[in-house]
Amino acid sequence: MTLDSLRIRSFRAHKHTEVAFAPKVNVLVGANGVGKTNTLEAIHYLCLTKSFVASNDTYAVRQEAPYFELEGTFSGVRSRPMTAKLVYVPHEGKQVFVNDAPLDRLADIVGQLPVVVFSPEDHALTAEGPDERRRFLNNILSQAHPAYMNTLMKYRRARKQRNELLRQYRKKPAPPPEALLAPWTQKLVQLGSQVVARRQTFLHTFTDYLQDAYERIEAVAEEPTITYDTLADVSTDEEGNAEAIADAFRARLAEKQDHEYKRGTTLVGPQRDELVFRLNDLEVRRYASQGQHRTFAMALKLAQYFYLSDTLERHPLLLLDDAFGKLDTERTNVFMQLLQSNDIGQSFITATRSAPFAATVPFDEANHRLFQVDTKNDAARVRIAPAHADVSA
Amino acid sequence: MQFTSESVETLVEELAKLPTIGRKTAQRLTNHVLKMPRAEVEALASALVDVKDQVMQCSTCFVVTDQDPCPICSSHRRSRATICVVEESSDLLAIERTGDYNGLYHVLGGVISPLDGVGPDDLRIRELAQRIDPSFPDGPSGDGAPDAPSSDAAPDADASDTDAPEGDDAPEPVPVEEVILAVNPNVEGDTTAYYIAQLLEPFDVALTRIARGLPIGGDLEYADEATLARALEGRGAV
Repeated sequence: MTLDSLRIRSFRAHKHTEVAFAPKVNVLVGANGVGKTNTLEAIHYLCLTKSFVASNDTYAVRQEAPYFELEGTFSGVRSRPMTAKLVYVPHEGKQVFVNDAPLDRLADIVGQLPVVVFSPEDHALTAEGPDERRRFLNNILSQAHPAYMNTLMKYRRARKQRNELLRQYRKKPAPPPEALLAPWTQKLVQLGSQVVARRQTFLHTFTDYLQDAYERIEAVAEEPTITYDTLADVSTDEEGNAEAIADAFRARLAEKQDHEYKRGTTLVGPQRDELVFRLNDLEVRRYASQGQHRTFAMALKLAQYFYLSDTLERHPLLLLDDAFGKLDTERTNVFMQLLQSNDIGQSFITATRSAPFAATVPFDEANHRLFQVDTKNDAARVRIAPAHADVSA
Repeated sequence: MQFTSESVETLVEELAKLPTIGRKTAQRLTNHVLKMPRAEVEALASALVDVKDQVMQCSTCFVVTDQDPCPICSSHRRSRATICVVEESSDLLAIERTGDYNGLYHVLGGVISPLDGVGPDDLRIRELAQRIDPSFPDGPSGDGAPDAPSSDAAPDADASDTDAPEGDDAPEPVPVEEVILAVNPNVEGDTTAYYIAQLLEPFDVALTRIARGLPIGGDLEYADEATLARALEGRGAV
């Protein structure tokens, strides 16, 4: 799949930008704050209806503009080129159009235009709290299996309803009557165990992808593994069995019942899942070096790319936001070779200097293209840079 | 925004309270009303008041109707052994349009949703149980709240029983054999169905739920994944 052209209107640093991309490697070079990352964000919005940096949609609208509009033309999704358009009007919301027809639900676009991002924030994936890892899990599974996202959203709704019921009875002398709570518990268990089973089945196959990805970028023979820590003792050696998980779910809820009444909230479920990353026997989050953190996060993202690629039988778009800043020359070169190979489809890279890429990528405009991003009249400007010119900020 | 007329502002605010009507639409509607001839405005206003004054709920099935019991509940042609449970009167109309259902109905008036402050006692669930077994107790179900009016819970002389016309044209009461749950297939609908199923379990009635899956005349490739997954789950032998 390729993004052939992108039109951005009133989005962050962009006032009105139109860019035609090359089918393989696209490098955007420019100083900090000129709108390079914003260009990748615009692509991400089109694919998943949101940004890859945590931020409110309202702030994405350019100052003094009433709304923002993004439009991309994609090849390799349908038999004919497909245009996807996203419009966001503050206080009214977002609307996605595919070939000018509005989609009933925003979620319908997710998975059609797969995307994987490498960004400096990937550090949080291995170094910070479990919600980062659950978000990673949800991102892959939602793109690969749309039914998963549906189940997850329904699970969240059931949990919210159950929490509200528990909250209403928190201050009362007696806990909620069984007849009232049981229907929500039943729904919670039914949907929650489907979520856990799906995650378990996924991790069962994903570990192989991770080990393969790790080998591609790291010469040292370390074996990366993922342990799935969920409501029951489940092993990623086998595929998920929703029935067995539901039994364990019910048992855990029974154990925690008094705590739930006291706290007035649901204390068991996939919202508390954790993934433990290890290199050989070393727990990455606690003991890994900075370099190992970086390599592990990159391997995770690369594994995500290959997993989506295989599952959807389509190359996702690969967004690399300032991903090479801390990589040594040798590893940058290895990575750039990979991006030009047939294993990877189209990629978009932001950097402050073109030098590390000029040596390894032939910017001939047919397959690979170098862009210069700067500011003109207070708005971002994206232009094709002359091939082999050493563009830098 | 500032209005120059208080009555215009009041109308906009009242219209904006209606579902699916936002402030902008309310303003547009208000502008339209201002341009309408007086006779038409009066017709609209009296239609609004009439619907409140003349339309009532059937005391048996709680559908909105002009007569009590409603034409469906008082019909001799319908099977009285089957009750189809729906959320709203509009769902009843949708099923009636199929022309394929010949039983009675029961309109719940919504679904259980703690987030919206709706519990089982805010719906017509107890009344449903009483249609199956008239001895089913009144008063909040299972809550055990002390403020329940328990004085008139014991006698069998149930309000809905005495309301039923005793004339020749009143259909014979027949024991309910099947309850069809036709609530929406979302989280709240599923939970409400489960609650009702638990409540009716002690009674000798068959409980069924309408099937979920692909719409007739729909193309597989255009069906959303959740519906397809559901349809696959509920596949049957050819």
